[in-house]
Amino acid sequence: MIEVDKISKTFRVKGKEIRALDKISFQLGKGEICGLVGHNGAGKTTLIKILSTLIVPDAGEARVENHDVVKEANFVRKLLGVMTVSERAFYYRLTGMENLMFFASIRGLSLSEARSRAKELLEMVGLLEWKDIPYMKYSTGMARKLALARALITDPPVILMDEPTLGMDPISSREFRRLVESLGRNRTVLMTSHNMVEVEDLADRVVILNRGKLIASGSPRELKERVGTMKLVRTKMPDSRLRKYIVGLSDQYFILRVPENMNVEGDEVSREPATLEDVFVSLTDEVDSTTNRSRGGGGWRRWAS
Amino acid sequence: MGVLSKLYAYIYLRGFRIWSSYKTQMVLNVLSWILPVFTYYFVGTSLGGELESFGISSYTAFVVIGLAFQGYVSSTITTISQRLRNEQLYGTIEYYVLSEGGVLSFLIYSALWGFTINSVNAGVILGIGELLHVDFHVNVLSTLIVFALLLSSALGLSMISAGFTMLVKQGNPISFFFSTFTTLMSGTVFPVTVLPSWIKDISLAIPLTWALEGLRFTMLEGYGIGGVLGIVEVLLLFNAVLLPLGGWFYLYSFNRSRRKGTLSEY
Ligand SMILES: Nc1ncnc2c1ncn2[C@@H]1O[C@H](COP(=O)(O)OP(=O)(O)O)[C@@H](O)[C@H]1O
Ligand SMILES: [Mg+2]
Repeated sequence: MIEVDKISKTFRVKGKEIRALDKISFQLGKGEICGLVGHNGAGKTTLIKILSTLIVPDAGEARVENHDVVKEANFVRKLLGVMTVSERAFYYRLTGMENLMFFASIRGLSLSEARSRAKELLEMVGLLEWKDIPYMKYSTGMARKLALARALITDPPVILMDEPTLGMDPISSREFRRLVESLGRNRTVLMTSHNMVEVEDLADRVVILNRGKLIASGSPRELKERVGTMKLVRTKMPDSRLRKYIVGLSDQYFILRVPENMNVEGDEVSREPATLEDVFVSLTDEVDSTTNRSRGGGGWRRWAS
Repeated sequence: MGVLSKLYAYIYLRGFRIWSSYKTQMVLNVLSWILPVFTYYFVGTSLGGELESFGISSYTAFVVIGLAFQGYVSSTITTISQRLRNEQLYGTIEYYVLSEGGVLSFLIYSALWGFTINSVNAGVILGIGELLHVDFHVNVLSTLIVFALLLSSALGLSMISAGFTMLVKQGNPISFFFSTFTTLMSGTVFPVTVLPSWIKDISLAIPLTWALEGLRFTMLEGYGIGGVLGIVEVLLLFNAVLLPLGGWFYLYSFNRSRRKGTLSEY
């Protein structure tokens, strides 16, 4: 179980304040897989790290299995399986097996426990035949599976994963999803992702962050129902506010994919039920603030033509 | 607890397996232990009796003890700072924070690997000393006591240095000082008595200076604990300050990084 209660975090870099999280609240129960989504810089990693006890929040409270992540950090650590983004976070010259044994040992397993647990996990994530190959030879997919195996060493009730399928090919990521699905049955899983198809496939719950604020949460179905039906509209020159809805362009026209109740000039081509990607696009701001600023207003018209 | 599995992990896997996988590096390491002994051996023989006026009966013996034990401080400190820096860049540091025993365990076991490799180094140098006919008269008990105090003071300094690494990332002043100045200031290859008095005063603020003097008494002259009591007391005092201060500063640096979100490279 995970409870997040008005969690806020502001970073200060050279006098500048970055409000990474602004009073975030939600709860997840056992057996739930939650997809945490949002544009780059929305605050996903910060939230995952706060729950992992790796970042201390400024305000608010968070609990893992009823234990406070700040006041009882040491206890909470025992309950967590964590997978960070960094693919570099293994020892390149050690094999997959040695790496797992290393991390099992420092998590407090005895030598024989570490050995049998490492084997078991390698088998489970499908890396057994690669166990004696140095980590530096692993593909991205294999590296991510090894990271999942590491997160499972202590058989934790709560799993936190930051972009676990980043850089994986479609088959690996499908395998990965099935693995997470089976793990999620009797655990609480919170994972970030930019892949809406993946989140739609895997998550019982979706939490959407936008510039550090929680703007929507619910099951994929609830969220899609909230946005409803999308219409495809062919139009000449869309308003710059609409650029995030552009899904196609030709010499003369733009194709926009907008919620049906939105007033847009042009010819309606067809209607389709909203996907999770539509939900994301409709609810969040266009792009993250930094790229938006550096690109400058109106620049999109140039790339569009 | 799993001490055995942690020794396996830190000393064998992350220490020896990785160190020995860099074959050239390993050979260079060993050469860098051995060559200075011969360099100073010839310096000593070419200067002949000159050194006796500074109260050194055998320069080779003096140098062998100095070189054998200096690494416990300088190389442990730099090894741990570099180690920590790398774990930060790789992002493995976060898994140490989550580990049983946390970052304190990380530091102690990493220092233990440093001590292990330095002991091989020290063994090799003392062995060469034997071949060069150094006249050892070792009092085992007092040697072990001074040695243990040297190690624990190195641990204290390592924690301070590691704390700096966490806080300032680049340009760690402690690590720089100890890797650059110890040979000059702590009586490794020449007695501190030849130094200008103000540098000599600084050298007295380094535990290694005292430990080397103590070890020369206990390993070359066979002094018992009574003979080096003054030195032992000074080393105890260093430890009484360095260990709590180091532990506090080291943990503070991690807590600060957790507040700033800079545990791993941001
Ligand atoms: N340690 C830090 N120091 C300063 N700013 C940070 C730090 N960590 C994150 N940020 C900033 O906080 C915001 C949220 O970042 P993050 O949580 O990494 O977003 P996401 O994972 O959703 O892309 C971003 O603007 C990022 O630049
Ligand atoms: Mg992120």
